[in-house]
Amino acid sequence: MSVALPRILRTSSFRLTLLYAGLFGASALILLEVVYWATGFYMSSSLDAAVDSDIAELEDSLRDGGTEALTAEVKERVRQMPHGPVYYLLQDSNGETIVGNLPPFHGGEGRVDLKVPRSDGPSVPVHAHGITLTEREYLMVGVDALPRREMRKLILRVFESSSAITLVLALAGGALMSDGLLRRIETISRTARDIMAGDFSRRIPIRGTGDEFDHLAASLNAMLERNEAAMGSVRQVSDDIAHDLRTPMTRLRQRLELAQRRARSLEEWRRAAEGCISDMDAILETFGALLRIAQIESGMPVHRFAKVDLSELLCTVIEVYQPMAEAKEQRFTADIASRLMVWGDRELLAQMFANIIENAVKHSPAGASIGLMTNRSPSAIAVTVIDSGPGIPVAYRKHVFQRFYRLESSRSTPGSGLGLSLVEAIAALHQVSIELADNSPGLRVRLRFLRLINESLPEIASVKGNWISGARPTQIAMARLGDDAATEGSASRRN
Amino acid sequence: MKILLIEDDGENADYVASGLREEGHLVAQVASGAEGFICAMGNGFDLLIVDRMIPGLDGLNLVKSLRAAGHHTPVLFLTALDGVEDRVSGLNAGGDDYLVKPFAFSELVARVAALGRRPRTTAAETRLHLLDLEIDLLSRTVRRRGQLIELQPREYRLLEYLMRHAGHVVTRTMLLEHVWDIHFDPRSNVVETHISRLRSKVDKGFEVELIHTVRGAGYCVRGPA
Repeated sequence: MSVALPRILRTSSFRLTLLYAGLFGASALILLEVVYWATGFYMSSSLDAAVDSDIAELEDSLRDGGTEALTAEVKERVRQMPHGPVYYLLQDSNGETIVGNLPPFHGGEGRVDLKVPRSDGPSVPVHAHGITLTEREYLMVGVDALPRREMRKLILRVFESSSAITLVLALAGGALMSDGLLRRIETISRTARDIMAGDFSRRIPIRGTGDEFDHLAASLNAMLERNEAAMGSVRQVSDDIAHDLRTPMTRLRQRLELAQRRARSLEEWRRAAEGCISDMDAILETFGALLRIAQIESGMPVHRFAKVDLSELLCTVIEVYQPMAEAKEQRFTADIASRLMVWGDRELLAQMFANIIENAVKHSPAGASIGLMTNRSPSAIAVTVIDSGPGIPVAYRKHVFQRFYRLESSRSTPGSGLGLSLVEAIAALHQVSIELADNSPGLRVRLRFLRLINESLPEIASVKGNWISGARPTQIAMARLGDDAATEGSASRRN
Repeated sequence: MKILLIEDDGENADYVASGLREEGHLVAQVASGAEGFICAMGNGFDLLIVDRMIPGLDGLNLVKSLRAAGHHTPVLFLTALDGVEDRVSGLNAGGDDYLVKPFAFSELVARVAALGRRPRTTAAETRLHLLDLEIDLLSRTVRRRGQLIELQPREYRLLEYLMRHAGHVVTRTMLLEHVWDIHFDPRSNVVETHISRLRSKVDKGFEVELIHTVRGAGYCVRGPA
């Protein structure tokens, strides 16, 4: 049923423009009415004033010299101005014209607008006032009202021409505006179509004017960016599975084949099966870690975040790795402020710190020292893990977060090459910045929680742990850290 | 124990069911959520093993419905979903434990045993006994043959958990989850270390050893066989 309007007429901007044009026209009309009326009123009153002053003069001469004098005066004036701009009429008590250049009038006293025919042209509008004099004569004085008529005509003409212009301007402006809006919307939908067609890198152009469309485009672009990253991480996972899980799968297959060919006794079969199960477990673990990274990177449920007692969490994680460090005769010291509260997912944060501490223990040689310390500044809570192991050369620092990336030097150490990728994903989710620095010797990993819980916590008492017998808490090796960390460290103890 | 297994993957269901039967349990199998709901409501099962993704009513909603209907049989979720969110949502829905596929069978057996033992009422126990070993849960003290044993807080929690499951195997993963609140494999020997410390405090110097290692499965606190 609906009539297909041209697209431009269906746009809301065009409809708005029409509405504005209508409103504008109506207000102009009201304004004109007021001007028209006020001008007419003003001009009528000035005509009245002119007429009344003439009447007053004539009444004076009537009072001074009687009817004769009045008649003479009127006669004289008519003689001087037979065709206006002032007109007179004097009639006797019977209504007969004594003298005058106005047609006879019998309409009684009062103001009246007349049309006076002229022999040499169109009739002239006259604004007149008639009164009855003392001897029952009737006197009427009128003035030429042409200027008033002309003025009214002029106002009407101005309105006519200007309303036409207003209409044209409103329509043209509306058309231009909606065309501009439509074109920008069209750009957005074209981009959307391109992206649907598979060009995921397309973005909506931003004009740089900072208007609403730029804001919209920026938000949409940010969303597209996020989606592309999420898709990219999914694609990355499938690539990673294809490339990096093939190797252990191949090894598993070889092991099975070997068992099939060589295993003679039940015991040999059992051993082969055990080996295969442990290979398989490693593959599944890698698989799980990949999925978990992808899940976290594609936006984990931040709504599930809760307050996490970081101090307790760190103590637990350290406790878990302490036996591993002890087995390597490493010295593990920690300085953890109590009641450090952060927003997050306890399990993921535990995993993040576990991976960092595990790396420190795993990659540092026997007898190395490993330390963990926290410090709190008004803007962040920082956790620093230091070790005296081989460290990471500057050139490789940005690569170690890539999936399956392993330093040449650590190829022989067991590990999937996913630990730091997971750390990075969890850190990003929690708005934690990671900084790798030289501990000369060794590595210093600094994690800064930038999203703090804004509440006043009770006074912070520093808890110093010391997780190896024989080491005193004072041996916590602040001096080995960079200067800034040492200063912050001492600041946190003052708190 | 009478167990209802709600799992649509036939092969896996048969594997789980036959394994549990070998362990001496009675196992009934159904393959859909709706059937599962009816069976669970009707028969007196001791434990439900529920797959998260089953046709019809899915596992999560099945358990939610059961709990809403006032049904309190323990539930062990099986799932191929290995996300933090999935585990938490499973437990929030009313599940009692959660096992991610693929799992070691010994892990399943241990968890089934642990859930079956769960007291039906929450009547507060104040003491746990095993032969001459005694834990006072209120004062958190441990005595063996009347002699006070000093334990670190973590060692105490470890012993308490083992004692609550006395006679049953508990796995390393179960200990990490319940004693350390760690839900991933830290590839650390922390459990082994603590068990050996606990042994040196609880068993050393006594003729009867109470803390046993079950090879390939986990640990068990029990008297001599």
